[in-house]
Amino acid sequence: MIVESLTIDPLSFAARTGWEIKPEGMCRADQCVPLPDGASTAAGDLDLAVVAERLQMPLIRDEDASIWALGPSSGGRALASATAAELELEDADGNLFKLSSLHGRKVLLVAWASW
Amino acid sequence: MWQALHTELESKGLTVVTVALDVERDDAMPWIELAEPTHPSLIDTRHISDELFGFTNVPMAVWIDEEGQLVRPAELASIEPRPKGGSLPDDLPDRIKEVFTEIGKFQGNPEGYLAAIHDWVDKGSESEFCLSADEVVARSRPLPMDHARATACFELGQWHWTRAASEGVAKGASLKGASLKSDDNQAVAAAVRWWQEAHHLHPENWTYKRQAWTFATSTPGEAPDLLQGPNDVYDGNWFDDLMDQGGGAAYYDAPGL
Repeated sequence: MIVESLTIDPLSFAARTGWEIKPEGMCRADQCVPLPDGASTAAGDLDLAVVAERLQMPLIRDEDASIWALGPSSGGRALASATAAELELEDADGNLFKLSSLHGRKVLLVAWASW
Repeated sequence: MWQALHTELESKGLTVVTVALDVERDDAMPWIELAEPTHPSLIDTRHISDELFGFTNVPMAVWIDEEGQLVRPAELASIEPRPKGGSLPDDLPDRIKEVFTEIGKFQGNPEGYLAAIHDWVDKGSESEFCLSADEVVARSRPLPMDHARATACFELGQWHWTRAASEGVAKGASLKGASLKSDDNQAVAAAVRWWQEAHHLHPENWTYKRQAWTFATSTPGEAPDLLQGPNDVYDGNWFDDLMDQGGGAAYYDAPGL
């Protein structure tokens, strides 16, 4: 996830990473991680530097572009749970497609490439 | 091939969704137009499905049931029988002969994988190929910090590449082949630098490598160089990296059916 600021609103963070704020801390699937003091700003946003460190997410700075890239939580497996993440991508006609729109059907999701 | 499977099994409750891991949408489109898909045919210019599902090469697939639960994690997804290898012409360069030899060692069981898909469609959760939630997670690849960093680095590279494209220089001839080596364009140089870093951090992620190499080894105006040979932009190339990682037999993890 590319960010231009080190604060982010919790809903945006959850949509992209699956980590939600709950009374126990940051939770994803059946895992909850207590957050340290200073993880939230006065405005209710998350301090990405603090949260990233706690969730073992790399936060890499590109000085020249003045942006950061936030990577996935490390230390476990590529899948945190068996619940399929929401995938939102454009189709070949340029229309937005949501994987969740196929709820109720079996889906074979195949990755390919021109290269 | 995937369209044919979709056509065959759509009425039985299966939807095939294909995702093109192509930073350049225009590279994927001719293939999609050829397939004339009626199934959802998506283009993932950020390789975001690598991160969400654990794809590290193509073709790979996951199975998702009616409740939105993964019942098989990312694994090799080949359904076309591989052509039987005949003898190679003597006048082929040695390197090309070696490439074909290693390709002949690729793992995979296309007939078995296709039969497993049919079994799942027929029997649903009763299929022996349907895995428990714990098994799906356990079979997904480990995610150490270096691999997580590679994901972030790849995304930074893609961000710069897209910036170069929006400035009008990443389209067409100017950003394929030897011109990538030039430091004249800072966005391109930054993209190459971050992608190179991603390759170092997660050498087993072939989508990061093959995506980047193809820009460096293709000749402007010509079909892409699928062998992605030695180039003076990146440290690695397809065949030498393949051999560094155990050769053709180690290139794909065959699905444990």
